[in-house]
Formats: sequence, C-alpha cells, structure tokens
Amino acid sequence: MSALVMPGASDKLTFLLSLVPYLMDRDSISVTDVADHFGVAPQLVRDAVSLIAVSGVPGESRQYQHGDLFDIHWEEFETNDTIALTHLVAIDDSPRFSAREAAALIAGLQYLSSLPENADSEAIASLMAKLTRSASAAPTQVAVARTDSGTAITIIQSAVRDGVQVEFDYLNARGTQEKRRVDPWRVESVDRDWYLRGWCHLRGAIRTFRLDRMSDLQTTTLPTTPRPDDVVLPENLFEGSASDLDVVVELPISAVPLLADFSPQRAETDSGLPAEQVRLTVRVAHYHGLKRLVSGLAGVVTVVGPAEARKAVRDWAGAGVQAYDEAPDWATGDDNAPPVGGIR
Amino acid sequence: MPPIPDQPSRVSVEERLFSLVLALIATEIGLTKADILSNVQGYRQRYAPGGDNASLERQFERDKDDIRELGIPLETVEPPDDPGSNHHLRYRIPKGLYDLPADVSFSAEELTLLKLASTVWREGSLSAESRRALTKLHSLGVDASDPVLGYSPSLRVREASFEPLSKAMDRGHVVSFLYLKPGEESPRRRRVAPQAVVLHDGRWHLFGRDTEADATRTFLLSRIVGPVVTVPGESFVPDGDGKGQEALRELDALWHAQVAEVTVRPGSDAAVRLSKRSSGNTDPAAVSAIALHYTDLNVLADELAGYGPEVLVRSPASLRDAVLTRLIGVRDAHTDPSSTDPSSTDPAGTDPAGTDPSSEGEPR
Repeated sequence: MSALVMPGASDKLTFLLSLVPYLMDRDSISVTDVADHFGVAPQLVRDAVSLIAVSGVPGESRQYQHGDLFDIHWEEFETNDTIALTHLVAIDDSPRFSAREAAALIAGLQYLSSLPENADSEAIASLMAKLTRSASAAPTQVAVARTDSGTAITIIQSAVRDGVQVEFDYLNARGTQEKRRVDPWRVESVDRDWYLRGWCHLRGAIRTFRLDRMSDLQTTTLPTTPRPDDVVLPENLFEGSASDLDVVVELPISAVPLLADFSPQRAETDSGLPAEQVRLTVRVAHYHGLKRLVSGLAGVVTVVGPAEARKAVRDWAGAGVQAYDEAPDWATGDDNAPPVGGIR
Repeated sequence: MPPIPDQPSRVSVEERLFSLVLALIATEIGLTKADILSNVQGYRQRYAPGGDNASLERQFERDKDDIRELGIPLETVEPPDDPGSNHHLRYRIPKGLYDLPADVSFSAEELTLLKLASTVWREGSLSAESRRALTKLHSLGVDASDPVLGYSPSLRVREASFEPLSKAMDRGHVVSFLYLKPGEESPRRRRVAPQAVVLHDGRWHLFGRDTEADATRTFLLSRIVGPVVTVPGESFVPDGDGKGQEALRELDALWHAQVAEVTVRPGSDAAVRLSKRSSGNTDPAAVSAIALHYTDLNVLADELAGYGPEVLVRSPASLRDAVLTRLIGVRDAHTDPSSTDPSSTDPAGTDPAGTDPSSEGEPR
C-alpha cells in the first residue's frame, strides 16, 4: 500500500536501474507481474519500460544510434502488455546499496530482533553482514537497541498459528479492568510500545490493545471467526472518534512533534503569547489519558482549557504530590500488599 | 554534425539521470564535462556549442550529487598528463563498484525479513532510503515468503536533528548545536564529530567526539535545541564500522549500573506496565515494589511523573526530588490564581461520559 506513493526522480531512477537486471533474467513477463513483484502501480512499470526502450549511450557516433539503445519486443508490449528485453546496454546487474540505504535496513533489522522468532537469530546477523558487503560505502552508523517485547508476542503468535482466540485481563486507559477475548489479527509497534489489533468479542468491534496493559494473557480453545472481507484494519493505530474532546494546550514550538498522535491543530493565536510558544488544539478520548500525558511532559505542555481538563491535570499531579506527603501503606513495601480491589 | 535539438528541455529528470548513469558506466576512460554536456541525453538538448552553459553545468553538479546519494560510485579521474587540471577531469562509474557483489544472494525468508525491516521506518528520510533499498532488492527477482503473523512494527524519528546529524556523519563533518543539559539554566553550544546515532531505551542518542573537551560524549537528541550546523572547514575521517554498537554497549552498561526503586499502587496502570520492566523479583504477591533500570534520570522522572499518584519513588533521592518537582510544577501550572473551582459547572468533573474510544491503546 505504502509503495504506491508518488515517487520522486531519485526513486524513479532507482526503479529504472533495478528493472533492467530483473527483466534481463526473464525472457518475457507481463506488466502486472512486474508491478506485483515490485509493489508498484502497473502504469509506473509501463512508463519505465517505455523510457528504458528509448534510452542508451551516446555511442561512437554520439548520436544514440539504434545499436546504442536498449530494445524491447514492441509488439508484445503494445498489444499484450508483456515485456521482453531484446537488447541491453551498459548495465546488466543490480546496483549496490548506498551507505544510508544499507543503514536503514540494518537498523530496521536490529529492531526486528525484538520479535521472539528473531531473538537469537543468526539469520539477522548474517543478513546485516550481507547488507554491509552490498553497500558502496560503510553503512551509516545508525543503531537500534533491542526492546523487550516480553512473552506476549509468543503467545499471540501461537494463537494465530492455531487459529484460536486469546484471552486476557485488560486495564484500559480509563483505569477499568475487564476480561477480553480477542481474535488476534496483527501485532504492531510504535517505538518501544507494542500493540495487538484484532476483533474484540466483548465490544464486537476492532480494537487496539497495548501489550503492556495485558495481564494473564492466554490462548483459548475457541476458534477465531474468519475475518470478513469487508473488514479492513484502519491504517492508523489511533483513530479519532466523534466523542473525542478538544483540549487547548500551550507548548514551545520545538515540542510540537511530541503531540503528533493527537491530531494537533493551531488554536486561535493569542497575542499575549511569549515568542517560541504556540497554542494547539488536540483531540483526546478522555481526560484520563490527558492527565498522564501532561504530567509526563512537566514544564513543557500546559493545558489552557477547558477548565475541566485543567482540573483533571491539577488533581492528578496534586494527588501525586500528596502521595509523597502521606506515603500510603502500599508504598512502604511490606509484603502483605492489599488485594487488587483497590483499583480506581 | 551536431545533434538536432529535437525537443529542447522536454527530457524528464529521471531520463537525464538514467542516461548519465548509462553513459558513465559505458565509458572506460571517463568522459569530460564537455563530452557529457554536449552528448548525453537531457543535456545535449540544452547545450549551446561555444556559448554560455553555466546553468547546465550547475545542473550537472546537482545531478552528480543526486547520483552519489543513491550509492552509485561516480568517480572523478585526473588526467595523468595534466594533474590538478579542472578542465580535463573525467567522470566515470566503474562497473565493478556499481554492481552488487556476485556472491551476494538473498533467500525468500531473508527477503521477507528485509521487507519487514524496510517498513519499520514510516516517515522521514530513513523511510525513503529503505524504500529504495527494497526496490534494489526486488531487482534480484526473489519473491518474499509470507510470514505467519502479520507484524507491523514501526520506529519514529521525531527529532529534527536526526537528519543533519546522520548526513554529517557520512560526510565526516564536525557539527555544532545548542545543547540544554537538565539542571542548567541555558543551553550551551557544543562542537561534535558525530560517530553514531543510536536508539536506546526508547530515546535517540548521538555518540561523538566533543572537540572542545576532546573526549567521547553521548547526547540526547531531544535536548538539542535549535538547528544543527556544520562547522566550516572542520572535518574528520569517520572510523566507520562498530561505532553504533560501541555506543549501545556504553548505554547498556549505564542502564545496568543505575537502578531506581519505586512502589506502585497495586492494580494501577503503573503496576501493570512497570512491573513488566522490573528487573527485580516478579513475584506477583510483592508486585508493589519494583526495581527499574535507567540510563537518564530526567527521562525516567518525566515518565514516572506521568503516573501521578500511582508511583512513589523510594530511591535514589535525586530521582524522588526530580519527580516531586515535576508534579508540583504541573499542579501549580494548572492552578488558577482566582481559585474558583471550575468543576462546579460539571459535577461529573474529570470523567466525561462517552462511548468507548475506538482505540484503547492510547498513544502513551
């Protein structure tokens, strides 16, 4: 899907240089097969082939004469949408990776080693060595540490393999704990946070769950219901909904990317605002998430309104301050911790 | 006979670049700039014989950079009989350095893994780089096998400094930037020879040589304020391989050496999430006491403050102070001078009635 973005000239050149050796290895191949293989639109393939077929080198005559150009079986191409290269010029092999291209894949692989099946994988190490060898310069030093995705992914994976539902206790962002049964569809991550997306049988809808908010995750013996064709997973992890609340926040311009998940919009400008500060309207599902977000960005983000939102943040931080004054029972660290009834 | 300028300047950018690459691979001895401008498709149409070709020359300079950015080894050759002469410089692309090494091949499983690796970057320059790398991989004609479970892993780079730092690293440029160290009043300008940019414990770090302190330092990208600029005339030879892993090892060592002890309210969000990161006992009965390793006290303090009353720091005292200071700051920043209670207008207060949010994951 993401491969269908409109490519720039660098992307197009890369495609041209990659297409030639691919076509060279095949006597004849349909445009749609090539498009599928490269994950691009068929028209992009046709455009590229049309260009390759009239390209070449200046040659001895410096006139780009016939023998100096690539050639294709034109009739096959025009009537059957099929490509057959009949003459090659200058290149016959795949290009090397750039230092940064190799680095992007290597860093991506390092991140994937967080997945259980890759954890001790020699395959990853050998792949990284191959990429390094296939680059035209030493790969840029971008490295990603392993993050611990825990055992949850292994359990979810075995459920997917066996076609069964998973079950877990889930504490949602509002602080409500419920038992959930879910058809697991996809494991996603953003940085070091891992999520499960699937069909929630309790809600009867597609839901996203944070793995670190699950407790007591188990596979069940209940088979998953086949995913209907018309159910498409939304691209975005965090979909807005009509019930979302608008909150106005103030923050330094440099900190705006921190709120990218909350569809920030420029709020009406405030003339009294210090330079470098900006006011944004963000959308949140409820104030429970907001108070945690803002308290975790102390000195950076301040809620301007509405008053209820300010109060939610004030009460939350205030309760935190008070906890230090009072040091409640559960903080003294003795062994008989209160039962799990104390959820609020 | 000069070429007939059939369709002046109607040649697309990719056609001009493609033709240039082909021409420079096909030549053994190299082509001079005059050869290129007067003969190669995309230039020849705009070439004025004996006239002013300054803008065309600038075009060629930009094209050279773009081609090199793609990892294509475009070389400059000085004529042996006239070294130092700019006029007779020749350009070429040695085929042996252009071609993927013959002994490198990828299996269907490896391609599956690489495809997934390339999707990790959803935005920014690394996303474009991995997309192009994947196109090159596809030219090998291997079809990826289907993975069992649909994974959709992603990493984000939100710091604007990432891009200029990694470019400077490749080119061996010393950079300077303003860096705000926590606890210091104002940012200080640092000069650094960047050696690696690494993601550790969820944060991007720069590892490099501080040229004033003449020592290796680690910086958090999130604390770089303002633009990263290259220091004119100051460069270094990148040591290349292994610097990224070296940086990660140092950060790991730091992470292992520093432990915070916290108490969490049982059943709370903090208890559920932080207990999964606890390095100490995982005995569910004693789940309220948690030991957390960390690399940066202020980063951890930010995170713990987010949990409000659900977490209490027991040690170290510096972390406890840092969290308390944050909480007091947030509370006071949200307290109005005129202390009328705004909740009186809405008795439900902090709990807006609402339908279930479609995402229960919450971005944070």
